Amino acid sequence: MTGSTDLKEFLAAYLVEAEEHVSSANARLLALEAAERSGTHDPKALRDIFRSLHTLKGLSAMVGVEPIVGIAHRMEAFVRGFDRAGTAPSLQATDVLLKGLQAIAQRVAALARGEAAAPPPPELLAELDALDAKAGPLAERSGPDLDLEPELVAKLVPFEVEQLVRGIAGGQRGVLAEFVPSPARAAEGLSINTVRERLAAVAEIVRVLPRALPLSPESPGGLSFQLILLTQAADEQIAAAVGVPVASLRPIRSGAVADVPAGAFPDASVPFDDGDGADGFAAGVRRGIVRVDVNRLDEAMEGLATLIVTRFRLARAVADLAARGVNTRELADVVADNARQLRTLRAAIVRVRMVPVSDLLDRVPLLVRGLQRTTHRSVRVELEGGDAELDKSVSERLFPVIVHLVRNAVDHAIETPDERARRGKPEEGLLRISCRARSNTRLELTVSDDGRGIDSQAVARKAGRPVPDTAAGLLALLCIPGLSTRDVATTTSGRGMGMEIVKRIVVDELGGELELETHVGTGTRFTLRVPLTISIVDAFAFECAGQRFVVPVSTVDEIVEVDRSELVQVPAHHGGGPELDVILRRGQAVPVVKLASIFRLDAAASAAGKAIIVRRAGAPIAFAVDRMLGQQEVVIRPMNDTLVRAPGVSGATDLGDGRPTLVLDLVALGTTLNAGAPAPRVVA
Amino acid sequence: MSSILVVDDSKVMRDIVVACLRAISGTSFVHASTGLEAIERLSLAPFDLMVLDLNMPDVGGIEVLEFVRGQDRLRELPVLIVTTRGDEESRERVLRAGATAFLAKPFTPDAIIAQVRALLPQAVESRA
Repeated sequence: MTGSTDLKEFLAAYLVEAEEHVSSANARLLALEAAERSGTHDPKALRDIFRSLHTLKGLSAMVGVEPIVGIAHRMEAFVRGFDRAGTAPSLQATDVLLKGLQAIAQRVAALARGEAAAPPPPELLAELDALDAKAGPLAERSGPDLDLEPELVAKLVPFEVEQLVRGIAGGQRGVLAEFVPSPARAAEGLSINTVRERLAAVAEIVRVLPRALPLSPESPGGLSFQLILLTQAADEQIAAAVGVPVASLRPIRSGAVADVPAGAFPDASVPFDDGDGADGFAAGVRRGIVRVDVNRLDEAMEGLATLIVTRFRLARAVADLAARGVNTRELADVVADNARQLRTLRAAIVRVRMVPVSDLLDRVPLLVRGLQRTTHRSVRVELEGGDAELDKSVSERLFPVIVHLVRNAVDHAIETPDERARRGKPEEGLLRISCRARSNTRLELTVSDDGRGIDSQAVARKAGRPVPDTAAGLLALLCIPGLSTRDVATTTSGRGMGMEIVKRIVVDELGGELELETHVGTGTRFTLRVPLTISIVDAFAFECAGQRFVVPVSTVDEIVEVDRSELVQVPAHHGGGPELDVILRRGQAVPVVKLASIFRLDAAASAAGKAIIVRRAGAPIAFAVDRMLGQQEVVIRPMNDTLVRAPGVSGATDLGDGRPTLVLDLVALGTTLNAGAPAPRVVA
Repeated sequence: MSSILVVDDSKVMRDIVVACLRAISGTSFVHASTGLEAIERLSLAPFDLMVLDLNMPDVGGIEVLEFVRGQDRLRELPVLIVTTRGDEESRERVLRAGATAFLAKPFTPDAIIAQVRALLPQAVESRA
């Protein structure tokens, strides 16, 4: 027989889907809780949670992940009771459900790491079993109040009727549209799925009902779909999305409808189980989206990287031919085309790897919720993610950073409600995270709170260093490894935990910037600027004392000619530090560092005719180099070997000549100079 | 060639079903990710069998089944319901709604192959 189909093959795809269902259920559970707090009810969210749990259970059983089956099964059974009654679980029950989801998430993560999923903790199962599945009395419902055919109303579930009535009362228009599928329309790409996607941009889809029609040339499939919509868009937009004439749309009004036909309003207790899937469209799992294992994208990227290196070699070979007097015009055109195509391909792959920042931020409310309960703080979270996107690998690295900053803010910075009241602040603290794309290459993310601020004297005392007089100096102290003792963090500074990790990831790994602004008594703001993508970057290649280097274009402020007569020499500080000159740029004195002397290259061989200016925490610093070789895309290979890792060097690349070329991080290099750290020594 | 419509909102689940059934030679597969899409596809092209999940957003499996059985052309279409709810009560409810056969998750490749072979009118011999 064909026992050869091993369902374990589907584990990777399963993990991706499982993760989506867990995060969707988390978000909806919080939405449910928020709705409940504000005195409303969100039956759609409840149904989505039920569905996610049910799918998790079924999928986990298929691929043989029994621990998740056990947890999901109990949670599902509990949630079903509420779905039937049309009420929401209590806050305590929500806690247990969140715990359950967390336990599932942990097991999914373990499997993703190649470990086994641990059996569910008996305490958790006991807690889930102990949940009182009695959901309380049925929620009261108002009668339907819509001028729709009773047959149609009868097919709606109560919360859909409520959704319509409420939407219309809230100023939206109810619209009934009809889409008739046909082979011709399918050939044009018009199907019920695409119609729904197009409608989703202009309307809220309350329900889609299939309707059997007699077979005719107008309805070759003997089928139409009736779409019940809420919208603020014009009829023309709706009609265009459905692909029908405007005249075919029908308004749905909500008003005083005297008599509701018996049985037209379904009983709220109709059980929702496997078979009754009427739950609207917000299933939480996005449609029209292909899930791809990120490793496959990395493979594509790796393939592209080798292509780019090949192109460098090609360009080099052509240049050699040209130097020997061969006419290479046609060849050069081909190479230029090839370069353009590679750039397009690269942009396409990079786009595929981009994930919305909101995915990252959506996890914050859950985190804060947990922290609030353990720390007895009351915190309101404001997220402003916009539609910025960033590379998945950057996003993954950034998440622990956000966790650290959020944890510090809630744990330490934001005062207890009592203390806040004493200080005349609102009892509820505010944690705000906002982010926006600063340019095509950088994302700026701020995490701010209105807590107690950081006491720089206390931090300095703890660190055994002089009191810093700038925010940057204070940040440097906070990032000293080991300065994370709890007493500083909790009683005086409000910060300190894990800041060295934050700095390591943002600055050292991602090549970003970290800034701090804090005011004692009123709050703290951290600003992170990180590249949207890593690994392949546009870079300037240049030469210095006979060595080639590259520097990412995104880090360069400008490149200037250096006229030796303009240089002003200032005495070197810290004794053996590198020589320091200064040039004037727009009335500002900019320190000039000779790259040759930093890297202890033969300074005599260096002409230092150009300077590359970068900004470090807003202040310009210039690096004198011999000459620029041009701009090109480079593939950065990280240097993870600690033996060769040096500050200021972010990796190595191959410019097509087969020799490793160092990719410099001049911003970091500027930082080590100022800190008086020993300069790295280059052996190339 | 037997054409099979595989309906499930979980892509992993659809892929698993197709991977299992590929062992039956002479079969081709069409995916539908929603109940509505399934209804649309059934109305526009002939199929020899539908493998249908019950728990889906928008239109669930039972609703698809009821719609299908209300259509003259589709009354005879074999429908294999695949569901996590394997109890006798669910089985009866599903069969009452018009399912031809019923398979509880988790199932083994052999189990679904056997079911589908029995449902396909001119089941072809296995490659194995």
